[in-house]
Formats: sequence, structure tokens, C-alpha cells
Amino acid sequence: MGSKITRTVPALLCAAVLVAAASGCSSAGAGSGSDANGPVTLTYGIWDPNQKPAMQQIAHAFEKLHPNITVDVELTPNADYWTKLQTEAASGTAPDVFWMSTTRIGLYAGQGQLLPLSDESGFDNKPFPASLNSIYTVGGKQYGMPKDFDTIGLWYNKKLFDAAGVKYPTASWTWQDVIDASQKLTSPAKGVWGIASPDWTQENLYNDIYQAGGNVISADKKSAGFGDAKTLAGLQYALDFITKYKTSPTAQQMTDTDPSQLFASGKVAMFTDGDWDTLTYKNAPGLDADVAPLPAGPAGRATVINGLANVIYAKTPHAAAAWQFVKFLGSEQANRIQAASGAVIPAYQGLSDGWVKAVPQFHLQTFVDELKYAVPYPVSANSGPWITDNQALLDQIWGGKLSLSAGAQQLTSTMNADLAKG
Amino acid sequence: MSSPQISGQRLGGRRLGGQRLGGQRLWPVHVVLAIGAAAMIAPFFWQLLTSLQSPAQATSVPPDFVPGWRWSNYSEVFTSMPFLRQFLNTVLITVVRVAAQLLFCSMAAYAFARLRFPGRNTIFVLLLAVLMVPSQVYLLPQYQILMHLGLLNTLTGIVLPGLFSAFGTFMLRQFFLSLPLDVEEAARLDGAGPVRIFWSVMLPLARPGLISLGVLTVLWSWNDLLWPLVVANDANQMPLSVGLATLQGEHSTDYPVLMAGSLLASLPMILLFIMAQRRITEGIAFTGSK
Repeated sequence: MGSKITRTVPALLCAAVLVAAASGCSSAGAGSGSDANGPVTLTYGIWDPNQKPAMQQIAHAFEKLHPNITVDVELTPNADYWTKLQTEAASGTAPDVFWMSTTRIGLYAGQGQLLPLSDESGFDNKPFPASLNSIYTVGGKQYGMPKDFDTIGLWYNKKLFDAAGVKYPTASWTWQDVIDASQKLTSPAKGVWGIASPDWTQENLYNDIYQAGGNVISADKKSAGFGDAKTLAGLQYALDFITKYKTSPTAQQMTDTDPSQLFASGKVAMFTDGDWDTLTYKNAPGLDADVAPLPAGPAGRATVINGLANVIYAKTPHAAAAWQFVKFLGSEQANRIQAASGAVIPAYQGLSDGWVKAVPQFHLQTFVDELKYAVPYPVSANSGPWITDNQALLDQIWGGKLSLSAGAQQLTSTMNADLAKG
Repeated sequence: MSSPQISGQRLGGRRLGGQRLGGQRLWPVHVVLAIGAAAMIAPFFWQLLTSLQSPAQATSVPPDFVPGWRWSNYSEVFTSMPFLRQFLNTVLITVVRVAAQLLFCSMAAYAFARLRFPGRNTIFVLLLAVLMVPSQVYLLPQYQILMHLGLLNTLTGIVLPGLFSAFGTFMLRQFFLSLPLDVEEAARLDGAGPVRIFWSVMLPLARPGLISLGVLTVLWSWNDLLWPLVVANDANQMPLSVGLATLQGEHSTDYPVLMAGSLLASLPMILLFIMAQRRITEGIAFTGSK
């Protein structure tokens, strides 16, 4: 027994010393309340290193206006951002303000992890696209201050179009024009494909589904839209490029090499892709590309709109300061800084000029003009499970292991089951 | 222990006498080994190649094998992350973990192998049970313990859970069990107590096992990603593994810079391997795992 005590005492002492040593380094001001006059340090969680300089610039601009508040920008690796945030949120240690995605807002807001911004004084969501505001509104309250947005355009390779004698895509193109052009542009001898049509949802399938007049999820967000014949028509259109017209690389080939790399290397003449690959295509050696609006389907034009938002952690000890910062993040000044960085289109409408002019050789205004017919990226209260399950089934359909009709039934049943779980 | 030496001499003798004959007989083996070696080295070679290219070159299709000689990628590693600070963090974390694991695991292992105390087998089974649980499962409870200790976002917090390992204890226990009892008995007859026997007799005998555990711990600690990623928020508190992971962008990644950084980060491990190659092979052969 004696030996047990002699072993325990030094261990406890060690622990006490460690705690004492560490408390000096832990975040300042914890528990000091949200006193507007005392010095406050806010943490701001983000995941994209390419946007870190702009975020830091915004933080400095904010610190100038609020000398008593310091903002620490914390960059977490993109792949593990949500693992870390989940651990922190479960322990009460998430950053005061952090980036939120459309796919997670339902979960985090639904579990009471976020402060409703629409309850704060001075909240104004009018500068932002209504479709974005709607995604970040859960149960009648808005939880996210829209940060940026992205839409999808039809990127095309001018050189390959010229070589095949095909006219460049225009705003009047329909599905049939894309099919015709893809057939003329495909040249097995040169190793050139007319189009790349992967089973990617945001860049490809969702847009086709809405252009066909279909639906991914019902308006009440309770049931799957894959039982709708129009939804299937959208999927069929995308799949036909591989199976019927053979103008797209196969699913296997696009798994081996990312379609955006195939496009950047001049192996693919058309690719529907987001504005976020602008710099990749600008810097690709020998690539002479441009971007046009997505074609009109049977039900007209449509593009999915998605975007990030800034949110406040419900358990932040500095709620007042955090709201000041988020309000600033949604301001014209902060959005101008974002626009100038060229990394993303700022969510604040009318400020996209700086971004559009950053790469004059592309008609980037296309992405902004598409807001007119943009459809909110489909989400529900807990989007993660059905997004994962749907993608697995789509992979099987695209890989030829499952027919579209049989696949659609499975998509409907698994997605409905996931939605029923909430 | 003497037979390998004899066969070595024999081999040497034959090599002296009929080098050409031996070479001819062995060439199929050499071809197979060369292919294997090439397959192992190819990823490192490609990494080196990529680290000297432009981002566009690195992602072109078909792959571009022309080196771009962009040495600026290497200097960019130092501007895009606090590389030296994170390098020191990694070294510090690794050194502390290795030293602590060697000490604590060998003490526990010796107790499990040689000392008789009530509940020994029950405790040992409980310890083995820890090996069966994937580390992701105790991520959250461990995190919350460190949170209550106020150790989040500190190097101490990163190091603490890795000071002891069930695997290391199990491995060293097996090693101690394989040592002859006679030596210990002789020491006991000479009047040495358990502590003295452990420290002066058994530990020196267990050197090969300790080296194996040390090498495995170095490799594990150097590459450990998830735990330090969750605990550290500040770039200055991160080890290299986490710092390099933050270079990966959402839509686009500067692969040449990432490859340059990864190459620099793995250099110490490559050097360690070259210097301690035999020990590492022995260690892996001994434990049957890596």
C-alpha cells in the first residue's frame, strides 16, 4: 500500500505542474465574458490555405475598427476540418466564428451549436443572393452570413473547337447543341474527348436535373426526388455522353485522372465546372479556354448555387464581439477584400467586378449572370448521410454496375430512409 | 549464434573463387530485386521530380517527366508555413515520446513478465483490450480529458497520450519472457533487488527489443496526424505532419510546394533508415509489424 501512495503522489504533482505550465498558454480571456471594453481574442476557423491571406487581411481591417478585439485565424487541413470541428463542438471548444458549408448547416443549426444571426441587432441579409440566404435559414432563423458563392459554367477549349470547326457555345445553347458539338469534337485518333461527364453532383448532375425540371429533394426536404421521371431525364442526359454517344471518358478513366486535369491538359473539349477552377485553367500551359452559360434543358436554364457562410459558435464566451466580427465579414469592405484576392466570388452582390476583371481572358461575368436562374444547392436537416449514400449509388450507375432505372429506385429508397432518420 | 559467421565465410570464399559463376546463377534474383527496388524508389523519385516543377506541369496529362528546376518551391515551403518551428516541434514530440515509451513500457513489461502480484493477468488482459480499440474511438474522451487539464493547443497536450503504449508493453513483455531466468536468479543470489535486476541486468539484455520499439515509435510519432491536428490550433504548436496537411487547398493545391515540404520532412526519416537499416529490419522482423 505504501508503495502505491509514493507512486501516486509524484504523478499528481507532475500533472499539477503541467496544468500550471499550460494555463499560461491557453487562449486568453477565456471566461472573462463578452465585455465590450476588455480585450477579447476571437478565434476564426477556416479550411482553405488559398484564402488565408484574404481572411487575415479582413481580420486586420476589423482589428483597426475594434482595437480591443484581436482575431486569430486558425487554418485546419481541409480533409479533417469537420472531424476536428465535431470533436471541438462536442467538447465546447469550437472557434468563436468559423466557416460553414451548405451540407452541414442543417446539422449544426439543428443541434443548437450556432447562434441565430437574424436575432442580432443590425442583421441585414439583403446584399446577398436570396438562394444563399435560404440555404442558411433553418426553422425560420438565419444562422449563416453568406461569405461567397459559386455557380457552374460550361468551360470549353477554344483551340479544340477551332480545330473541329465547331462554333463556340453561346447563351442560346440547348442540350442538343452540346450533344452535337461533343460528337463533332470527339476524335479518338487525337485522343480528344468532346466532353467530360463525371457523376459529380454539383458540377454536373444537379444542374442537369434542374434543367430537366426534376428535383433532388422535395420542397419540404422530407423525400427524395429520384422517383420523378424528369429527374431521371437529367441523369440520362449526363450518362448518355458515356454510354450512348461515347463522347466522354468512362467513369474509370475519370477516376484515374480528374476531369479538370483532362480539361486543363487539352484532352477534353467541354467540361461543366465551377468558377473555383478559374486560376487552374488560367495557369494551364497551352490551354486557350473560355466559359459560357450552362445549356438550357427541357425545362429551361438552371445552375446550382452553393457557397460558404460565416457562423457564430453558440457556446462562445464572446458572443457580442463575435457578432461584431461576423457583421463585418458580411460588410462591403470585407467583401471587397475577398473580391480583390481573386479566389472566390464575394457573396455581397454588386461587388463581383473585381473578381471578374482579375482574369480578363475569360468571360467570368457568366458565373455572376447565372444568378438569375440559380437553384439553391439541395440540402436537408442532415445532408451528410444521403449525400454519401447517393454518391455510392451514382458511382455504381456510372461504372455500369447498376442500370439507371434500378439505380433510381435504390436512390429513392436509401435517400428516403436517410431523410426519415433526420 | 556462430553458424551465420561460418556460412558468411563460406559465401565469401565462394565469391572469391567463382564470382562470375555466382553472378550468372543469381541474375534472375537480381532482376526481380531490381524491379522491386525500382517500384519502391519510384514514388520518391516522382516526389523529387514534382517538387521541382510548376503546379501546371505537375498536374498535366499525360504526366510530364521533365524536371522544371524550380528551386523556389523549396523556399516557398518556408514562407507558407513555419517550417523550422514545426520541425522542432516534431523532433521534440518524437524525442519525448520515445524516451517515455522506452522507460514506461519496459517497466510495465518487466512487471508483467516477471513480477508476481495479485490481478496481474486480469490487468494484462485489460491492457491487451486497449490494442483492440481503434484510436479514433478514444479521440473524443482523450480530447475532453486534455481540455479539463487545460492542455489543448499545447505541445504537452500533443505528447501526453503518446507517453505510454499498450503495444510497446506487450512487445517488450514478450521479449522479457524470452530471456533466460538463470541470469536473474544469479543476480538475486548476489543480493540484487527487483529494481536493480531490472535496471542493471534485464534492460541491457533487452536492448534489441528496446531499439525495435524506439524505431517503431519514432516512425509512428513522426507521421502521427489526427491527434495533433485535433489538439493544435495555432500553427506554431503544430508538428510538421499537420503543417503540411494545411497546405492542401479546397479546390486547388500547390503540389510542387507540398512535395518539396514533404520531402524535407521525410529526410530525417530517410537518414535514420540509412543509418539504422539493420536495426529497423531486425525490429520489424522481431515484432512482425511496422
